[in-house]
Amino acid sequence: MTDNINEKEVTPEVIEDAAEQDAKSKVMKEKDIDKVSKKQLIMKIAVQTGLYLFLGIMAIIVLFPFYWMLISSVKTLNEYNSTVPTLWPKQFRWSSYAVAFTGELNLGRLFLNTCIVGIVSTILSLIVTVLSAYAFARFEFKGKNVLFAALLATMMIPGELFTITNYVTVSSFGWLKTYTVLIVPFLVSVFYIYLLRQNFMQIPNELYLAAKVDGTSDLKYLWKVMIPLAAPTLISITILKMMGSWNSYIWPRLVANDMAHKLITVGLRGESFKDMSGMVDYPAQMAAVVIVTIPLFLVFLFFRKYIMRGVSRSGIKG
Amino acid sequence: MNKKKNQWKAWIYLLPALIVLAIFTVWPIINTLRMAFSNGYTYAKELKYGAFSFSFGFENFVSVTSYQGFTTCLGNTLLLTVLTVPISTMLALLVAVALNSIKFVRKTMQTIFFLPYVTNSIAIGMVFMAMFTMIPGVKATDPYRSIGIINSIIEAFGGTRISWVNSDSSKAANLAVLVIYIVWNALPFKILVLLGGLQSVNKQYYEAAKIDGTSRFRTFWRITVPLLSPMIAYVIITGFIGGFKEYSSIVGIFGNENSGDSMGPTGSPERWNTMVGYIYQQITAQHHGDASAAALILFAIIFAVTMVNMYVSKKKVHY
Amino acid sequence: MKKKLGAIIMAGVMACTMTAGLALTAGCGKTTVQPDFVMPEGGFDTSKGVTIKFYHTMNQDLRKVLQSYITKFNVLYPNIEVKEEAVGGYDDVRDQINTEIIAGDQPNIAYCYPDHVALFNESDAVQSLNGFLPDGEYKNMTVKRVKTDAKGDAVKDENGNLVYEDVSLGLTQEEKDMFIDGYYDEGFKFGDESQMYTLPFSKSTEVMFYNKTFFEQNNLKVPETWDEMETVCARILEIDAARGKEETVPLGYDSEANWFITMCEQYGSGYTSSSGNHFLFDNSTNRGFVERFKDWRNKGYFTTQTLNKGYTSSLFTTQQCYMCIGSSAGAKNQSPDRVQGEYPFEVGIASIPQLKQTTNPAGANYDANYKAKVISQGPSVCIFRQKDPQQVLASWLFVKYLTTNIDFQARFSSTSGYVPVLKMEQMQKNKTYADFMADANGYDNLNYLSALRCMEQEDAYYTSPAFMGSSKARDQVGALMQAVFAGSKTIDEAFKYAIRECEYAAKG
Repeated sequence: MTDNINEKEVTPEVIEDAAEQDAKSKVMKEKDIDKVSKKQLIMKIAVQTGLYLFLGIMAIIVLFPFYWMLISSVKTLNEYNSTVPTLWPKQFRWSSYAVAFTGELNLGRLFLNTCIVGIVSTILSLIVTVLSAYAFARFEFKGKNVLFAALLATMMIPGELFTITNYVTVSSFGWLKTYTVLIVPFLVSVFYIYLLRQNFMQIPNELYLAAKVDGTSDLKYLWKVMIPLAAPTLISITILKMMGSWNSYIWPRLVANDMAHKLITVGLRGESFKDMSGMVDYPAQMAAVVIVTIPLFLVFLFFRKYIMRGVSRSGIKG
Repeated sequence: MNKKKNQWKAWIYLLPALIVLAIFTVWPIINTLRMAFSNGYTYAKELKYGAFSFSFGFENFVSVTSYQGFTTCLGNTLLLTVLTVPISTMLALLVAVALNSIKFVRKTMQTIFFLPYVTNSIAIGMVFMAMFTMIPGVKATDPYRSIGIINSIIEAFGGTRISWVNSDSSKAANLAVLVIYIVWNALPFKILVLLGGLQSVNKQYYEAAKIDGTSRFRTFWRITVPLLSPMIAYVIITGFIGGFKEYSSIVGIFGNENSGDSMGPTGSPERWNTMVGYIYQQITAQHHGDASAAALILFAIIFAVTMVNMYVSKKKVHY
Repeated sequence: MKKKLGAIIMAGVMACTMTAGLALTAGCGKTTVQPDFVMPEGGFDTSKGVTIKFYHTMNQDLRKVLQSYITKFNVLYPNIEVKEEAVGGYDDVRDQINTEIIAGDQPNIAYCYPDHVALFNESDAVQSLNGFLPDGEYKNMTVKRVKTDAKGDAVKDENGNLVYEDVSLGLTQEEKDMFIDGYYDEGFKFGDESQMYTLPFSKSTEVMFYNKTFFEQNNLKVPETWDEMETVCARILEIDAARGKEETVPLGYDSEANWFITMCEQYGSGYTSSSGNHFLFDNSTNRGFVERFKDWRNKGYFTTQTLNKGYTSSLFTTQQCYMCIGSSAGAKNQSPDRVQGEYPFEVGIASIPQLKQTTNPAGANYDANYKAKVISQGPSVCIFRQKDPQQVLASWLFVKYLTTNIDFQARFSSTSGYVPVLKMEQMQKNKTYADFMADANGYDNLNYLSALRCMEQEDAYYTSPAFMGSSKARDQVGALMQAVFAGSKTIDEAFKYAIRECEYAAKG
């Protein structure tokens, strides 16, 4: 394994090569299939059918809330409030979307705030996470295990209790109603560090030693080898972090509830959809949720490609 | 020489994370400890009489453990965790492996399993209520107006309807719904992590297995699971930690209708209260000392379980 | 071995950090407790700008009303900037302020329920208003206010400068007399009742909406007492059974908690007390009425929002129930959808049933001395203590302005369905409001009719004592009724459970 790496530097070309070889071996595989007996073929079909059935059922279960969100957004308020819920709207009311757009919700601003906070905190969080995970995965230093165990231990305390103390801290820093207060306190996630460290540790140590022999600096090695190899995990972290900004509610509402910094969920859950008697216009709320979901969905479609690309990236000969 | 050089380098890499953690995680923990061991602590009292007006002691712990609902909270938390973590991990693993081993509509399928990420949490809670809740008749004597989608499906297959979450529901029925809901909630994250892991698993191991004629089942247990073991360990450990902090799912199922935090079916509030639910209630009631003490008790439990988990995974995980 | 060492080190670290933490907190020397208010020399300073923050739960329509009156207020006091913020629901306001008090960052004014004030006052955060009352410490003090003309515009002298006039800083006797006495007195219902902490902002109570068309067609008498209610419910079930109409229920009662507390008040049987043993609600009278209502439930006389798993108003508007007891501020929800431009029935609004009636000496349950009881709901406002006394004064001026402003109260009431806190004869001065009131009917102007009924029974309003744990008591009696009606607890179990939970919540 190590020999291979020593011979060639890991460059995109090498990766392309690897991908090509993968493709070749796939062709080989197809040829093999022709040779297998009929019995095995039937078996294979049965397994495939089972797989699709299983995935199909799981997909329906997983998709149901998404479906619910869509149909709720086009129901009339009365249909939505009727005690017996309907699976298909009796009557489509698109005006909810108009209400969501034109209402005083200021969707554009909410969206902008969420994007700023989401993107900045994701980038910073990735940097911090990569550096820490690298230190834990590749360096030997005094107290490493104790420190790592202590970090893991912090995950175990219910975070609810942090809220009040942290509130006092940020207000004494004068951070209330700033973007900083939405980004910095949750910049470090021990979860992500742990996840990435696990992934880094899978990368053979020999690779590192070889790079050292070549005189590659630590940072360069991290950038050129570790990060590309851990790309799928990094993307997973990105997605989780973005979703975190998307769904965060308690903290943002507490520390930055003004229009200039308000985040999307705070806005969506707020009073903007209440009519005068205090009843919530859920269809309009759902319409707003759908509107803000679409761009996010597109971002995810884009990321999915990267995850797939990660397949060929990690195709180092072993 | 080289090792010594690495020492300070490692700390530099760790510095940004450590600074943020020290301020926003370690300090709150210290504060929690202080509150837990200050008898009868509340913020209000601290503001009025100062931090040193409390005597050191275990009164908050005594108060927490002598609360009539404490064992219920603890039992529920343990029960839900022990049930949901293995189920959701197994299912997520199956979905991830299945996704990885199909060819036709593979991309579409993968996209579908990513969709839950973009479904806002507001929408998810509402769905479950609608699926399981039976809408009673207007009078106590009237028939049900709706028996819910799930019961309709059960009856269509010739089964008998079950009162899942209504006032006459059994604990077992409640538990079933809670487990399904929690597993459902946990699935997308786990699928994503495991799929990410699977993508980085070297294809050639499988090719080798194929050539050797190893059965699918054997391949799964002998190749996939060991190769994925770091990811599985991660998913299980974080699953346990998350499971012990269960709260919002119970609110999601039973709603927050009339009486504050009901955490149970109508007429049996607090039936499914959990440790975090209890902590929340104590914070709202301004019993910060009790809340901190309960948090520490919970921490001790999670810590012990995680240590066991780590010990096991040390032995089983292949790097 | 290594593990063990790690654990020991961790324990050591924790112990160290704990002591360090104690020292740190002490070192910081938190000074977030707000000092007692001391009247600054010269009173309110109109030359320097001051900003105040107002937390409320208003929706967009109400905010617009509020904002337009902030503009008018600014003509009078140009140096006061009011920042109003809608903070979710009442519980959200409570939680937000609870946290902000800790950092000394609380707002200046907030919507509040008495229970919340009791909670805020655990940290002495609420400003007593006693000094500003007609017989208070500051009764002779004045404040410079911009003179305005009849249109509400600022008057300027020949040089273009604002003209000021001196007006009373505190509440004058005339202003105090504008308030409905019962609402005003609610501001004192804390602890030993010596301090006023809140001013009423707007009010609502429970009223009984009934299907007037149905009642007239069937010659039913609108029940005034619970005994009559029982008779009417039985009669309605007979009527529907006779005409084959299924799946109807005579009465929908929105809130179990309100029902329980109101019954306690009507019987005078004890609910909670602000001092001593707080929780008095477990007694034979209360067990008696719970048992009676349980029997009603079994007979199919009523449903509640929880039992129905949805607003009872949705039953009422579809004629599946014929009486609906709910908030007067929710009158709009009780209005049925028009069918081909016509309302399917007329809505009547009556006072909720009482234990005894005082109108008909010949009838059953007559007692001329009986005092009717209905629950008092709706937001009050309180002012928070601040380091800067000018902020407290500015807050006071704004609160006084809103609560005693007839036009604001009229606009707020007609927009929301809440009722003004000022006496009817005062409100009549606003011509638009008076005209609306005269127009009240059971079709289009249901909210005016509801407001009218509300104001008619102002003498009957009661409030419950506020103390640490009073909101828990409210939650628990509601849950108690639900448990008994749903059959998941016996009456004895339900009462004992509720008492235990309350006592745990009220400790320390």
